[in-house]
Amino acid sequence: MRHALIAIALGILAFGTGCQRKPSDVVDPAKLKVFEPLPEVVAASYGTPSEELIALGRMLYYDPRLSKSQQISCNTCHDLNKYGVDNEPTSEGHKGQKGDRNSPTVYNAAAQFAQFWDGRAPDVEEQAKGPVMNPVEMAMPSDKLVIAVLKSIPEYVDAFRRAFPKDKDPVNLDNMARAIGAFERRLLTPARWDKFLKGDAQALTSAEKAGLNVFLEAGCQTCHLGALLGGTMFQKLGLMKPYPDQSDPGRYRVTKNEADRMVFKVPMLRNVEKTAPYFHNGKVATLEQAVQEMADYQLGKTLSRKETEAIITFLKSLTGEIPFDYIKQPELPKSTARTPKPDLSD
Amino acid sequence: MSWKVKLAILVSLLAAGLQLYQPERSNPPSNPGGSFEAVARPAPELANVLRRACYDCHSNETRWPWYSRVSPVSWLIARDVRRGRAHLNFSEWNRLSPQAAQHKLREACEEVRAGEMPLALYRWFHSEARLSAADADWICAASKAP
Repeated sequence: MRHALIAIALGILAFGTGCQRKPSDVVDPAKLKVFEPLPEVVAASYGTPSEELIALGRMLYYDPRLSKSQQISCNTCHDLNKYGVDNEPTSEGHKGQKGDRNSPTVYNAAAQFAQFWDGRAPDVEEQAKGPVMNPVEMAMPSDKLVIAVLKSIPEYVDAFRRAFPKDKDPVNLDNMARAIGAFERRLLTPARWDKFLKGDAQALTSAEKAGLNVFLEAGCQTCHLGALLGGTMFQKLGLMKPYPDQSDPGRYRVTKNEADRMVFKVPMLRNVEKTAPYFHNGKVATLEQAVQEMADYQLGKTLSRKETEAIITFLKSLTGEIPFDYIKQPELPKSTARTPKPDLSD
Repeated sequence: MSWKVKLAILVSLLAAGLQLYQPERSNPPSNPGGSFEAVARPAPELANVLRRACYDCHSNETRWPWYSRVSPVSWLIARDVRRGRAHLNFSEWNRLSPQAAQHKLREACEEVRAGEMPLALYRWFHSEARLSAADADWICAASKAP
C-alpha cells in the first residue's frame, strides 16, 4: 500500500513537472508542412498587372475624391504606414459613421481565398468596389458620380488610357477596382518567418521557436495555416464554446444559410502584433486577450500565462517589412472646374 | 445492511445521478451543397472509406451509438466528436479554400497511414473503421489531386 502511494505521489510530481517544463525550441520539420513562405507576387486571374496599372491603383488608393465627402480614401482606414489598419475597433466613415466590423489589413490580403470578414468578395478587385459605395464608408451614391469625378480630371483619364490601352472607354468602376487591386497585390510584407520556412533555422530566436511549438501543440494551425497563417478558410466563431457576442451572424448575412451563422473568414496572423484591436468586432484590445479567447472558444483550451506569452513571442516573428518605397504616396492629379464638389450631406 | 450493499446502492445512485448530466449530442444543420461529396465529388470508393471510418467524428452526420447516451461515456464521445468536427468537418467542406482542403486531406493521409486515425478505441468498437492500406491509398491519392 505504502509503495503504491509513493508511486502515485511520484506520478503526480512528474506530471506537475511536465506541465511546467520549458517548451522545446527544436521544431519538427514535418509540422511545418502546413505553412508556406509568402509568395513574391499574388497572381491575378487576368495576368500580370502592368506598371501603369499599379501606378494608377496607387493614386486611386490614396485619393479621397473617391468618397462623397472627398475626405476619405482607402488609406484612411487601411493606413499603409500602420500595417494597413487604423487600429480602431471599427472605422469612421462618411460623417463620422462607424462601420460594424473591424477594418482588416490590406497587407498580404490579396493572397487570401476570399475578402471581407464574411468572404463576400472573391478577390481584392471585387472588394475594392465595396467601401466606395457603402453608405457608412466612402458613401458614393452611385458609380456615375465616381466616374464623373475621375473623368473630370484629365490626368486620371490619361492614366486609365495607359493602364487599359485596349479599352475604348477605360474610365469605369471595374477598371478602377482592377487598378486598386493590382496595387494591393504587391502589398506584401516578408518576415523572418519566411526565411525560417525556407530553411534558415537561425532566422527565428530560440524563444520564437519555442513559442511556435506551443502554437502547434495548442492546435492553432488547424485554422491558421498556409502562407498567411489564415485567410484560407471560413470557421465558426465559438467552435468549442459559444462566443458571447452573437450580434453579428457573420457569413449568414451573405448566404442566409443557418449553417453559416457566426461563421467568419479566419483572419491572417501576419503582422498581427501591429493590427490591434482584434476579431471581427474589434472588441479585443490586446494580443494576449485574443490568443487566450481563441484558445478558449475555438480549441476548448485554457492557456497559461506562460503559454500565451510564448505564442505571442512567436506571433511577433510574423511581423514583416513595410515596403515603404512601393507605398510612397504619389502626387495626386488636381481637380478641375468640372470635378463634382464634396458633399457633406447624409 | 452490509457495507457492500451500501456501497452498491451508493454507486447505483451516483451512476443514476450522472445520467442527469448529458452533453450536447446533436448533428448541427449543414448545407448539403457544402459537403465534401458535393464539393470535391470524390470517387465512390473514397467516399465510402471516409463515411465508414471518419464521418462519426468528422462530419455533422454522426451516428450516435446507444452508449453515447450513458454518462460518463457520453461525455468522452461528445468531446471527441466536438474536437473532431472542429479539426476537420467533411460536412463543411465549402468553408475551405482548395489549398486548405489539400492540407486537411494530406494530414488525414498521414494520420491514417501512421495508424493514429481513426482512434484505436473507435476502431475497437467499429470494425468497419479498421482501414486497409488500400483504403488509406484512396485518401492519400485525393490529397495529391490537383
